[in-house]
Amino acid sequence: MSSEDTARQVRSSAFVVSARKRKLQKISKMAGESTLLLIASFVAVVVLFIFFFVARDAVPFFQIRGFSEFFTSTNWYPADDPPGFGSLAIIYGSLMVTVGSALIAIPMGITAAICLSDVLPFSVRQYVKPIIEMLAAIPSVAFGFFALVILAPLLQNFGGPILMWTWWLIVSPFLLLAIIVVSELLTANIASEKKRKILHATSLGVFGLIALALLFFVGRKLQGIEILTGTNALNVSIILSFMALPTIVSVSEDALQAVGRELREGSYALGATRAETIVKTILPAASSGILAAVILGIMRSLGETMVVWMASGNSSHIPDPWFNYLESVRTLTATIAGDMGEADQVTGSARFHVLFAMGLLLLVISFVSNFISERIIVRQRKVLSGQ
Amino acid sequence: MNLGTRKLLDRAFTALGLGSIAVMAMMLLVVLVPIVSKGFSAIVFKSTVEHRKMVFNEFHRGNRSALEKEIAASDAARRNVYDMLSRFESELMLMNEDKQQEYTEKYDQVKSALRGLLGPLPGDSEPALTRLTYGQNRWEKAEEKLQELLYEKKWDYSNPDVVAKEYFVSRSAGFEGTSLARLFPYVEKNIDRMLLPEWTFYWGFITDSSVDSHIFGGIWPEIQGTLFLAIGAMLFAFPLGVIAAIYFTEYAREGFFNSLLRSANSTLAGVPSIVFGLFGLAFFINTLKVSESKSVLAGSLTLAIMILPTIIRAAEEAILAVPKTYREASLGLGSTKWNTIVTVILPAALPGILTGGVISLGRAAGETAPIIFTAAVSVGSAIGLADVFTSPTPALSWNIYNLASEHEAAAEIRHVQYGMVLSLISIVLLLNLSAVILRARISKKLKG
Amino acid sequence: MQSSPEVVETSQNASKSVREIYLPPERKKVSGGGVPHVSAKNFSVYYGEFEAVKKVNADILSKYVTAIIGPSGCGKSTFLRAINRMNDLIPNSHTTGSLMFDGEDVHGKFTDEVLLRKKIGMVFQKPNPFPKSIFDNIAYGPRLHGIKDKKTLEGIVEKSLRKAALWDEVCDRLDKNALGMSGGQQQRLCFARTLAVEPEILLLDEPTSALDPKATAKIEDLIQELRGSYTIMIVTHNMQQASRVSDFTMFFYEGVLVEHAPTAQLFTKPKDSMTEDYITGRFS
Repeated sequence: MSSEDTARQVRSSAFVVSARKRKLQKISKMAGESTLLLIASFVAVVVLFIFFFVARDAVPFFQIRGFSEFFTSTNWYPADDPPGFGSLAIIYGSLMVTVGSALIAIPMGITAAICLSDVLPFSVRQYVKPIIEMLAAIPSVAFGFFALVILAPLLQNFGGPILMWTWWLIVSPFLLLAIIVVSELLTANIASEKKRKILHATSLGVFGLIALALLFFVGRKLQGIEILTGTNALNVSIILSFMALPTIVSVSEDALQAVGRELREGSYALGATRAETIVKTILPAASSGILAAVILGIMRSLGETMVVWMASGNSSHIPDPWFNYLESVRTLTATIAGDMGEADQVTGSARFHVLFAMGLLLLVISFVSNFISERIIVRQRKVLSGQ
Repeated sequence: MNLGTRKLLDRAFTALGLGSIAVMAMMLLVVLVPIVSKGFSAIVFKSTVEHRKMVFNEFHRGNRSALEKEIAASDAARRNVYDMLSRFESELMLMNEDKQQEYTEKYDQVKSALRGLLGPLPGDSEPALTRLTYGQNRWEKAEEKLQELLYEKKWDYSNPDVVAKEYFVSRSAGFEGTSLARLFPYVEKNIDRMLLPEWTFYWGFITDSSVDSHIFGGIWPEIQGTLFLAIGAMLFAFPLGVIAAIYFTEYAREGFFNSLLRSANSTLAGVPSIVFGLFGLAFFINTLKVSESKSVLAGSLTLAIMILPTIIRAAEEAILAVPKTYREASLGLGSTKWNTIVTVILPAALPGILTGGVISLGRAAGETAPIIFTAAVSVGSAIGLADVFTSPTPALSWNIYNLASEHEAAAEIRHVQYGMVLSLISIVLLLNLSAVILRARISKKLKG
Repeated sequence: MQSSPEVVETSQNASKSVREIYLPPERKKVSGGGVPHVSAKNFSVYYGEFEAVKKVNADILSKYVTAIIGPSGCGKSTFLRAINRMNDLIPNSHTTGSLMFDGEDVHGKFTDEVLLRKKIGMVFQKPNPFPKSIFDNIAYGPRLHGIKDKKTLEGIVEKSLRKAALWDEVCDRLDKNALGMSGGQQQRLCFARTLAVEPEILLLDEPTSALDPKATAKIEDLIQELRGSYTIMIVTHNMQQASRVSDFTMFFYEGVLVEHAPTAQLFTKPKDSMTEDYITGRFS
């Protein structure tokens, strides 16, 4: 063997190792990866544990009291003898504030997201984003404090005028737009220019008068309303909507951004205005992502505790009439938070377990909606990437 | 539609979006401005001599001789009041029974109003509650109390159709013809000589513990509790979250199990916060028994689970943002995968990971619902570091709720509540701000 | 298409004797070089089902510079990356045939890719210094391989920087962040970083494509400096560069090694018509 060969032997052993060592390497790599996997699966274990332990303490309630009372009765007298655990009014209260907040947050959130993604120039966006981030960062108890100490007395003392001004401010621009568009559409097909102009003016006038009458009439009605308590479903809905807004805005904005520039350019090139491009092209393409955003936002309202506990009034009855947002309500989260203090000395009683039943209900709802929104997002990503 | 209308609709559409953003910005202002302005009034306010007395007695701060001089001056002004009281009492003795009864009731109201304003009257027995040993600490409160002394609030029920209206009756008129009638103008005129108002910067609001459940004193126990809980949660969640993120980004292969883990993560992110509280109670306290009852440890663990998904997501994003070329370069030099992660990828992803961590820290500090059943108590002193495994703690978020909704004198201590809200918001927003600065500074450093 | 055998004069018994190599007069022979350092036999690389490199047979001769040219997507980068197993990073990639380095199979069962990469260094398309100081960048490799002593490290850093012709420019700011340097300096730093682990082979994956002409010239000079000390393989888009820096050139087309010949020969008298079409710019 020449010296060069030996040299090569020595050198080559530099990267080829024995079977044993290779095996050891493989085993240690596997062990490392499994450790990481184990830690990563901790999240899944926690989710399972949450379901298990909340359900474990919820099941005794249904064993003791059955299902029907919980879901159908409105008799919530947990401390009485005999107690009543009818939670229908409480579930309804949760539903009511969630719907109320959604009604405010969804239109605002989507329009704000559109504004951020398609209207505002980048330099302005930089200043708007922190506003949204700050709204998201403010602790819920601070919002609750605001609702209880500032907003509630305002509503109680100046409820009528506040409602009236809100009505005027929000509705009048929309009515104005509607009048212009409707008059335009009504007279669009009239051939004679002169006749068309006259009709157009009349229709503007007629509809304008009707609108003014409506504004005044409803405004007067609203002004006459006396809000008996400031801690009511309206107060909570307003605050919750602002807590849900950051989620809706940021997730919707992501969905809108995911719609490519090609689509926008295609629409603009056909002579569409920005609004038409957005409404007819971009929103449909991003609709599922926006839907997911809305679901996530709604879940924030439903799961919020402190604001509703502090400012909803906590009275477990279904308002009369059922859509009366000016009455106090009680929600699932607030009931859990508020009643545990009285219940946990008597661990094992139905009063303790009913709170876990409510927790389980919330958990199941959040799980299902999360699942749905995640599916939606995944599907949209697939559609947009053309698979 | 003609072009004009289409353009109008387009503008309206833009206006709608801008309007929404404007409303959000306004809401932020509407929430923050009163909280900030009134919150500062917990620290900077016009204090009375009673406040300085309280600080000296309860916290042993202040200049004894100066305080004694002040007390002497205010006592000199008050002596007239007390003299008038005793003169009226002797007058009262001489009245007939009917008149005596009529005046005694009114007189008792006057006395209790005076106690609220100036503290215990001469001859009163030592009060049991600390809140009764001092007169009004804050000048603006003293002015309110002065009005209560001067005017009696009455309700008008004459019209049964509308809610009763309040109206005020001057008390001095009720004592017309007696020696006490002179008391009211005297107090009104000399109130500042009796209370000696003075602008104060009460930094003790942050560092003192509370006296007589937040009637006096500061909020240090709450601030400390909040910090303990949030930092404790971080200690558990941060390492776990970063390691999980490393797994998801560097090791996980596409597949059923992996997507299951990801679903679990987003499920966890969507769980309502109060349910975390229930879980903490049922699991950490009732099952694992990490502590006898509520404790900082149980609360931290519960909060840790709550912020875990946020940390994982932030860390994942940060790791994914590290250029692929760093990995190649390191592996090309003969580094192992793990070594590459530790020495190259994690340092490069550090700004993002830390930002996520700091923001989660803020979230943990601000949350209330998870700690209601696991860690928070309404009243308590600051706990030592050794007690975190066994003791519950007061915390800002919980005590804001408690003072605003359940305190027996909630309306009297609005300034404390505002101060607490301001402190909590400051902690959270400062953490967020420092996250932004941190990110900027570290990424600048990394860029050279 | 069959891969054409390499066009080196004496192809048999290559390991026993230094070959006769056709070199233009301005390029000196390298003493002790010319041994097959890396040899591929029917070597293929697959991405899933797709065969990115097709049954390549070639010997890369030690201490000389071999350029790999070909249109984009022809598999030249894949071939280069397979030599130090960087293709492992791409999921679902596997190889068939054999690729021997110093007589051992690079893709063999018992190959430790970490040790292999220590022997076969790589410089990438874009300068990719770590976001650390210049010193730490170069000391990264030696530290990985167990050198802790400060003095030794300092020595290695200086030596590597000198080899990469960077020492004079950066010797007074070794503790500065490497990302603060110019692109050309960064790339030379990457050379120095690779040299610091004392590899035998340098794989250069289009090392100048992100650089300006001046920086490119410096890198080319550097390659000339290193020629003779290391076996160098350079993937390049730029045919002028290939003809300037390399002793041998491999032309890949659609995964197939079409021609492998001394550079001077390949660029003047290509044997394959496809090679001729490519180097004369009829397709790219």
